[in-house]
Amino acid sequence: MDGWSGDSSHQHSWVQRESEAGQRSPPKLRPAAVFASANRAAHLEASPLRRTHLGSHLRAGASAGRRKRRRRRLPALPPRLPGPPAATMSASAVFILDVKGKPLISRNYKGDVAMSEIENFMPLLMQREEEGALAPLLSHGRVHFLWIKHSNLYLVATTLKNANASLVYSFLYKTVEGEDQRGPKRVYYSNVFSEYFKELEEESIRDNFVIVYELLDELMDFGFPQTTDSKILQEYITQQGNKLETGKSRVPPTVTNAVSWRSEGIKYKKNEVFIDVIESVNLLVNANGSVLLSEIVGTIKLKVFLSGMPELRLGLNDRVLFELTGLSGSKNKSVELEDVKFHQCVRLSRFDNDRTISFIPPDGDFELMSYRLSTQVKPLIWIESVIEKFSHSRVEIMVKAKGQFKKQSVANGVEISVPVPSDADSPRFKTSVGSAKYVPEKNVVIWSIKSFPGGKEYLMRAHFGLPSVEKEEVEGRPPIGVKFEIPYFTVSGIQVRYMKIIEKSGYQALPWVRYITQSGDYQLRTS
Amino acid sequence: MPYLGSEDVVKELKKALCNPHIQADRLRYRNVIQRVIRHMTQGLDMSGVFMEMVKASATVDIVQKKLVYLYMCTYAPLKPDLALLAINTLCKDCSDPNPMVRGLALRSMCSLRMPGVQEYIQQPILNGLRDKASYVRRVAVLGCAKMHNLHRDSEVDGALVNELYSLLRDQDPIVVVNCLRSLEEILRQEGGVVINKPIAHHLLNRMPKLDQWGQAEVLNFLLRYEPRSEEELFDILNLLDSFLKSSSPGVVMGATKLFLILAKKFPHVQTDVLVQVKGPLLAACSSESRELCFAALCHVRQILHSLPGHFSSHYKKFFCSYSEPHYIKLQKVEVLCELVNDENVQQVLEELRGYCTDVSADFAQAAIFAIGGIARTYTDQCVQILTELLGLRQEHITTVVVQTFRDLVWLCPQCTEAVCQALPGCEENIQDSEGKQALIWLLGVHGERIPNAPYVLEDFVENVKSETFPAVTMELLTALLRLFLSRPAECQDTLGRLLHYCIEEEKNMAVRDRGLFYYRLLLAGIDEVKRILCSPKSDPSLGLLEDQAERPVNSWASDFNTLVPVYGKARWATISKYQGAERRGPELPDTASFATSGPLIPEENKERVQELPDSGALVLVPNCQLTAEYFEKTWFSLKVAHQQVFPWRGAVHPDTLQMALQVVNIQTIAMSRAGAHPWKAYLSAQDDTGCLFLTELLLESENSEMQISVKQNEPRTETLNSFISVLETVFGTIGDIKS
Repeated sequence: MDGWSGDSSHQHSWVQRESEAGQRSPPKLRPAAVFASANRAAHLEASPLRRTHLGSHLRAGASAGRRKRRRRRLPALPPRLPGPPAATMSASAVFILDVKGKPLISRNYKGDVAMSEIENFMPLLMQREEEGALAPLLSHGRVHFLWIKHSNLYLVATTLKNANASLVYSFLYKTVEGEDQRGPKRVYYSNVFSEYFKELEEESIRDNFVIVYELLDELMDFGFPQTTDSKILQEYITQQGNKLETGKSRVPPTVTNAVSWRSEGIKYKKNEVFIDVIESVNLLVNANGSVLLSEIVGTIKLKVFLSGMPELRLGLNDRVLFELTGLSGSKNKSVELEDVKFHQCVRLSRFDNDRTISFIPPDGDFELMSYRLSTQVKPLIWIESVIEKFSHSRVEIMVKAKGQFKKQSVANGVEISVPVPSDADSPRFKTSVGSAKYVPEKNVVIWSIKSFPGGKEYLMRAHFGLPSVEKEEVEGRPPIGVKFEIPYFTVSGIQVRYMKIIEKSGYQALPWVRYITQSGDYQLRTS
Repeated sequence: MPYLGSEDVVKELKKALCNPHIQADRLRYRNVIQRVIRHMTQGLDMSGVFMEMVKASATVDIVQKKLVYLYMCTYAPLKPDLALLAINTLCKDCSDPNPMVRGLALRSMCSLRMPGVQEYIQQPILNGLRDKASYVRRVAVLGCAKMHNLHRDSEVDGALVNELYSLLRDQDPIVVVNCLRSLEEILRQEGGVVINKPIAHHLLNRMPKLDQWGQAEVLNFLLRYEPRSEEELFDILNLLDSFLKSSSPGVVMGATKLFLILAKKFPHVQTDVLVQVKGPLLAACSSESRELCFAALCHVRQILHSLPGHFSSHYKKFFCSYSEPHYIKLQKVEVLCELVNDENVQQVLEELRGYCTDVSADFAQAAIFAIGGIARTYTDQCVQILTELLGLRQEHITTVVVQTFRDLVWLCPQCTEAVCQALPGCEENIQDSEGKQALIWLLGVHGERIPNAPYVLEDFVENVKSETFPAVTMELLTALLRLFLSRPAECQDTLGRLLHYCIEEEKNMAVRDRGLFYYRLLLAGIDEVKRILCSPKSDPSLGLLEDQAERPVNSWASDFNTLVPVYGKARWATISKYQGAERRGPELPDTASFATSGPLIPEENKERVQELPDSGALVLVPNCQLTAEYFEKTWFSLKVAHQQVFPWRGAVHPDTLQMALQVVNIQTIAMSRAGAHPWKAYLSAQDDTGCLFLTELLLESENSEMQISVKQNEPRTETLNSFISVLETVFGTIGDIKS
């Protein structure tokens, strides 16, 4: 924890420290000054809710300024605070380009940048690439291009403002990129476009341009992001011909909603919640076998099929909670989570107070929370490799894989990809288990093992011929990559202890939980 | 190709759209309209069917409506007279019972972007602002901004602005945020939306209900608000605390910026904020989305400028992975270079050495330059790695290593010996201009320590006719002349040949003039040459030390979370200069922005004014070697001119200190061994006027302070003060390295 709230409590507050002459004193925690409990803070929170009171203030402040302004326009301004100009995100236009830079679809939101500016994008990109100075941010004249690449498409936002870069990228990603593409299976795939067509690529854009236009229209207005929640967007998009016959479309319930992420009047016959606890292991091992980086990124994803406005409470074996409640006995296994982030539906003030995770969930799929664990764990699948290259004749590869997890657990769908030189030919393999396949377009051998129990050790040998004439260009040293999935197991030992579902109609709902550990960015460098 | 038969296509579609049979069949009708839009998307001019499309807008089918309205927004500026015909349908749709239709019609109407539309849209917008469906209100609020944008110079409508201010209390979170955006646009001439206390507090309380875009937006608007009291300020910080850990990187960045700006008078709070966001920032740096990762890395670099040690313990997070794109790798290398410290230097250098042999030449060279950067602090290790790299005999590596050596020798003279030993043999692997220049410069300046230097230069002279870069020839002239001064016998002949070539045969005027100049200089006698060529140089090392000094957080806080750190400050300056020049044409300078930028400039100047005399007046001469006896005699004969204490933590590393002092031309006469109590050191320095500075350093074991006493043989306070500040810089720098 940080220095200025030295006590074990996770709550803290920002207070002014008394600073002694020139010396940095240890921070002092103002007693009971956490915002939920402090009187003044509570007052701050409460006052605007008294609508009449606040309303008069708001109106008075604003109209007083205006009245003056109407009389003499410029000089009679209320004293301006020397604040910086608001430079938020505001996209002039959004383009989807094919791989050659030709616009497939575009939406001009503001009209302050000529749509022909996009013609400068591709030449600029090529030029930068040649200079070795390519970056996801390019500028031409006064126009900034912020772009991302997705499969064979470029998504480009143009803007004139000194905008908030990470927000623009988040927005572009929100529209196209799936949330979980790393694991062997895509556990969830939720983004705006994917609700309507499977893969976002050139073909699907051409086939679905009407929907893309509709979506672009709802996602942004005047260059400002509006609704990006895919569930709620679905209510605005009337895509199928069958709706045509009815003549009138359904009135979307969200039009009168206070909670932006959930509509009222949702109904399910069977009320269920599916909880997925997914931990991805990121690993980077040096060529000499020393672990450079090992971290676990955990996410808890929910698939919610619940009627009405349910109130959910999730209990985890969180160490901090156990310490708070004095439960930290030897019986209870608990885990310490770092860098915990929640979906905006979670009431953070309650989490800060008593570590309860309570929320009204959005409908359908969403990521409830994510966390990190940087405690060093033994690499789950350890690889030892010998790649011997005899110039002009052959390459011999020996790979040993060892499951370093509990014997009861089994890793499924293990894929170990071993790099081979691009000019290798006539592959021959021998494996103690599973099968090996040469994938020439990626210059790798993929050794797949359907099920890999913990504690076991397997071996693969591969032999490749090399042409007698050596290639001119030098090749890099790609790492060995491993993909796997271990069900019913989490590295951190996190557990869902309970999930309470309360709705005013009082229905019974079933929560389902499953645990998966999977490979994230799992790489072992080769020498 | 659709482009070829464009007219035929238009004709055919026109026919189809007019066909009553098709019009009767809704599905077929819509299909024809879809074809129109498809052609429009492909870039075909479809404005020919405008009339027919306007007719098609009168339908109950929402999808058809959307398509037609999209068409109208695209072609309205081309056919304003025809577009007016559509207004009627649009106005009717604005009072449709379905809020979706109302919203759609209003949005399309406001996006028509043609002259004269304003009078038609005013009433629908006003109605829309009071619509019971929030969907329509959202559209209407932004519609106000669109309307204003159509007529920028028109008077701001006070009633409308009032209405928007009151809509800030709307139930719907998106309406609230849109109000802010709209007001900002409308009131731009007057400095944007006013954030007073009730509005600020109201927004603060709505924050949790907003989505990530709204939160980021509000955080940005709150930058305008200046809390009245310290208490209020800290209350705001407490309320917003959780947003520092939001799951959206955009919100995290926005919150960080707001915190940094609000706490601009409380440096320790700023530091605490940066500690808080360390986790989220690191997570963003390993984000799956490369662009977000890139933006985060740029901001990490920004933070490192002020807090050099901030990410040092997480250095492994910045190791590059094989498949990462170039721009991320380059940023990571830069970050690694900046966060290096005593504990991680070994591992970081090991990792960087791996990159030096990467297949991508650009990346390899960036890694080598990074090692060169680290070498300013950890010279020996780095020089060793760089020397090993020369052994690879790869062209693109050798040239960069030699360039790094050149810069290093200039900045850290203590590594000259090692560099000179590594150089022989390099010439075979250098082909490019930059590398050649660097090598030739090194051979010229330090040629007396490199046995084969004259012969390497001779080879260059022999090939000078085929040399394509004039800069190399110029460098060669200078180098050979310098070497001639130290090793005349070996160089005379070669120099003669080169001068002859340059004066008689060379076509490049600059080279020729340089040749002539040196020739005439030589005619003036060898002493004159020495005087000119070997006169004291400017000393870059002082600049180096000043560079390393931390930049205050406030110097970049206002640029945080904008495009500035992402472009890099230097690139941003060129871009914005270009943009500024372009913008100045049509628009009048904004009075509000003048008022805000006004006080900034004098402040900056003030700093500069204070700095200038410091560095200008005092020039310490290198190689002022006093004997210990002379020092002792002088020390006892003088009175203490100045005494001061510096904060000091931990033990002293005499080598580091000695090196750092040497860099600024302060010689160490005597020094206690490391760990001695009390620890003492005696230093001496001399400036260009011959004034001596004798210094005693004293570190008592129980104190955390270094006491310095300075004596001066000529009492001059201004140079004394400059000297003290040099010492201060040195101690400050060493303190940084240690911590």
